[in-house]
Amino acid sequence: MSIEPKFSRRTALGVVGGASATVFMPAIARANTAEISVHYSMPAIFKEAQEAVLAAFTAKNPDVKATYVNPTPTYEDGAQLILRGATTNQLPDVSFQGLNRLRLYAERGIALDLGPLLKEEGDLEKLGYTKPILGLGFHGGVQCGMAFATSNPISYYNVDLFKKAGLDPDKFPTTWDGVIEASKKIKALGDGIEGMFFRWPGDDWMFSALLYGHGGRMLTADEKDVAFNGAEGLAALKLLDRMVKDGGMPNYAGTADLQAFAAGKLGMMFRTTAQVRSISQSVGTNFVLNTTLMPVIDNDKGRLPTGGAGAMITAKDPAKIKAAWKFIKFATSAEGTTLMVKNTGYVPTNNLAIIDPSHLADFYKANPLFQAATRQVPLMIPWYAFPGQNSVRVTQVMVDNLARIAEQKATPEVVLADMTTEVRKLIPRAG
Amino acid sequence: MADAALTDPSARAKQRAPARADTSGTVVAWLLSAPAIIAYVLMLLAPALAMLMLAFTDFEFGARTFRWVGFANFAEMLGDRGAMAAVRNTAVYVLFVTPISIALGLLLAVLIDAGARGRTVFRAIFFLPVVSLTVAMAVAWQYILHPNIGPLNAALRMFGAPTPNWLASSEMVMISLGFIGVWENLGFNMVLFLAGLTAIPRDLYAAAEVDGAPGAWSRFWLVTWPMLGPTTLFVVTITTIRSIRVFDTVAILTQGGPNKASEVLLHTMYVEGFQFFRMGYSAAITMLFLAVVLVLMLIQTRLIERRVHYG
Amino acid sequence: MSTHPTTESADRGLLADLPRLLLLSVFALLILAPYIWMIAVSVKPQSEVFTSSLSLIPKQFAAAENYGKVFAQVPIGLYLLNGLIVCLGILAFQIAFAVPAAYALAKLEFRGRDTLFAFVMLGLLVPVQVPALPLYMAFANVGLLNSYTALIAPFTISVFAIFLFRQFFKAIPDELIHAARLDGMGESSIVWRVIVPNALPAATAFAIFSVVAHWNDLYWPLIAVNKGDYYTPAMGVLAFRSQEAGEDYGALMAASMLVTAPLVVAFLIAQRRFIEGITMTGLKG
Repeated sequence: MSIEPKFSRRTALGVVGGASATVFMPAIARANTAEISVHYSMPAIFKEAQEAVLAAFTAKNPDVKATYVNPTPTYEDGAQLILRGATTNQLPDVSFQGLNRLRLYAERGIALDLGPLLKEEGDLEKLGYTKPILGLGFHGGVQCGMAFATSNPISYYNVDLFKKAGLDPDKFPTTWDGVIEASKKIKALGDGIEGMFFRWPGDDWMFSALLYGHGGRMLTADEKDVAFNGAEGLAALKLLDRMVKDGGMPNYAGTADLQAFAAGKLGMMFRTTAQVRSISQSVGTNFVLNTTLMPVIDNDKGRLPTGGAGAMITAKDPAKIKAAWKFIKFATSAEGTTLMVKNTGYVPTNNLAIIDPSHLADFYKANPLFQAATRQVPLMIPWYAFPGQNSVRVTQVMVDNLARIAEQKATPEVVLADMTTEVRKLIPRAG
Repeated sequence: MADAALTDPSARAKQRAPARADTSGTVVAWLLSAPAIIAYVLMLLAPALAMLMLAFTDFEFGARTFRWVGFANFAEMLGDRGAMAAVRNTAVYVLFVTPISIALGLLLAVLIDAGARGRTVFRAIFFLPVVSLTVAMAVAWQYILHPNIGPLNAALRMFGAPTPNWLASSEMVMISLGFIGVWENLGFNMVLFLAGLTAIPRDLYAAAEVDGAPGAWSRFWLVTWPMLGPTTLFVVTITTIRSIRVFDTVAILTQGGPNKASEVLLHTMYVEGFQFFRMGYSAAITMLFLAVVLVLMLIQTRLIERRVHYG
Repeated sequence: MSTHPTTESADRGLLADLPRLLLLSVFALLILAPYIWMIAVSVKPQSEVFTSSLSLIPKQFAAAENYGKVFAQVPIGLYLLNGLIVCLGILAFQIAFAVPAAYALAKLEFRGRDTLFAFVMLGLLVPVQVPALPLYMAFANVGLLNSYTALIAPFTISVFAIFLFRQFFKAIPDELIHAARLDGMGESSIVWRVIVPNALPAATAFAIFSVVAHWNDLYWPLIAVNKGDYYTPAMGVLAFRSQEAGEDYGALMAASMLVTAPLVVAFLIAQRRFIEGITMTGLKG
């Protein structure tokens, strides 16, 4: 062990605040070292967090030598890495994947069911793993993985534009009706200024925010048929339709909304909290940016989808599984989750870190923009992962249909009917 | 390379007519081609065939097994809005990019060739898009084409012209991608035409002038254009192949949207196989792609053969 | 619209040349537009990338931050070096394999030639994504992933090179080859001692296409390399892309500049040769 890793370990420990320095790798422990390799995606976001977690983990667990394989640029590349690796036994031992894809690996026999390992841990609440938190990685009866860094949709808004439009920036609308009204007023400022954008393209995540918000669900409980085709689904689509019709919502592709927002030309934006850091960097001092909770649709039944990354075990060897589990347990512990939050701004995934202010209170005080998402933690439910071989394709069908509303080419009723027919074709049918 | 023994016996025969199709000539030719053939089979043909076989299976990316499903994937394709849109959009893109980028490439080449000033600079500038990284350039295009804050619409607004939603409207998106495609291919074609122009003997122009073609315009049609025939054929082939493979810009800028309005074949193939993990179906799309390209090449060869004959 | 031969117009007055230069400049500006933005962004802080004004000049100069971030987060020097090794390796094999085959296709008549050429054309059409997965599995099975070999081997065959060289060789006078045969040279020494020296311009032309393609390759390196420092330059740019958290535009553009600059320099150096190379290729259909 050279000087360098020790140094970075010490700085990482400094961040944690107070862990003792005595753990510097006593030579004794090397005898039965288990080596595991760990994979994660999107180094632009996670590199610092992962390295801090690894350094703190290694300091506490000298018997496990964990190393990272080259991180993949996107979740998609990460998924391909795992699926390719599965056909050639080139898998890492631990992999961090998009929460909505964990199910796919479990169904293909790549991700280990963590249920039995959790059972051995005894009282899970004591470890900070509440049922909702575990639920983020629980699909089709299998604990496919453990949520590591989570996100939920929040409201971003331009305080300056609010003031200009005669709106009170301290009273962001709590209902969509209010948002649509505000959007009209902001758009009326002219000069190419748009009122609002609800980030529907890309995947089904933001649509599920509208659906869950109404208390709806994607499929029936037995996963044999669609369930979004009821009143909640229609209401969700009608709401999107009204954003366009009444709120004057523009049609933005890709990241055009982020660019317009940064340029001070967009009043409100509804997007994942994962972007807080980069948006506030883009905004700089150009105007005052604020974030807040999503408007509420249904006070009792309304929920929000959870995005982000979860860790799964892909190792087959028992010794490696044991070491991999140790690593995941640490990464999702109060200490690991604190490191993650401090380096990324994502929502914590360990209840101990959430309820005990000693972990993150200072962080949120210093970074108030991150608070909105954390206050929505009680509303978070899993981002639904469709079963079967078309699990990802289904989401594209939804986005394509939403585009018809955004372009005002079809009514919500027509879109809902088409979406129902098309999705039905893609889910595994009852025998 | 110990080749003397190979060729000596036939050397005499070859002095008259170059390398007839005799047995030893055939052996030599195949020996010369052997390294290329081996690499071709190992690195391209065999893996590509293995992949295409999957078109008849339900293989999923990462799965351990698969079933043979006959032509089920092809049947599905017929009813797949996305696949059909991809065929249509790819055709539109090729028909847009190929002629425009060739015409503009030729125009630029002629303009550059017409004088010595700025030759090196302009040549380098127009070639720049060819050496650039599409990822970075696409990000730049996204900004330029931004509906609110993009410089293009800002300019249009100044003239009071309508400001289209370049990348997010189903009507505009293929045109926008087409223009980016022209931008990408223009310099490539210009360089090829420049090369063709340099090869035209200068006295031909003098002769044309004597024959009563004094204007630049008539000289172009009398000398330049016919003499560029072979170059044009080469350019058309290469540009068609390049534009039919459009993928990067679509993947980065529109992901085939809105609602399949910019779905193109290679993007569909990629998305089905590597994002939706349906390798079997993806392979079937690849087959469709190859079939479309083959038909296109056949038509083109026919058309061009006719042209070059009288040219 | 002036199609004057070069020699004549070289000494044309600047005034007469002005319309031509003006027209070219307009086109040049259109071509350069995205680069101008790219360069501007690479020296801007993130907060000035998207503003309501179209200003290109940063209020706060952030070149040091952006370029510094690239050097700090990615071993870009190493990637450039890898790019050099991989691109030259690929190029060497491509030329070594393609030249003899192209010569046979262009200058020899033999049984199966048309079939062989049809396969070349077919190869031109196959997108890289198609053979990628089986190749990955093969490399994994022989334990060759994460190596220069894995990065180079799949591209040792270039059907485009065969296509291009064949076109070029057709233009080489038969007499040259006859004379060599009369001197008692075998076919393969004709290839390496007569054809290749004559083929240098074409090789330069091909080299540009080949190097550009593999220098900028975003696809195969991601598959062939998952451990160790074998990434090629374009991968250095990917490190700054993130769809989910929003792009770091300054660093992204700075990395793109660093990756593209060597290619531009190489093109400027090779430019003359390059045009000559294609010139001869274009001579004959």
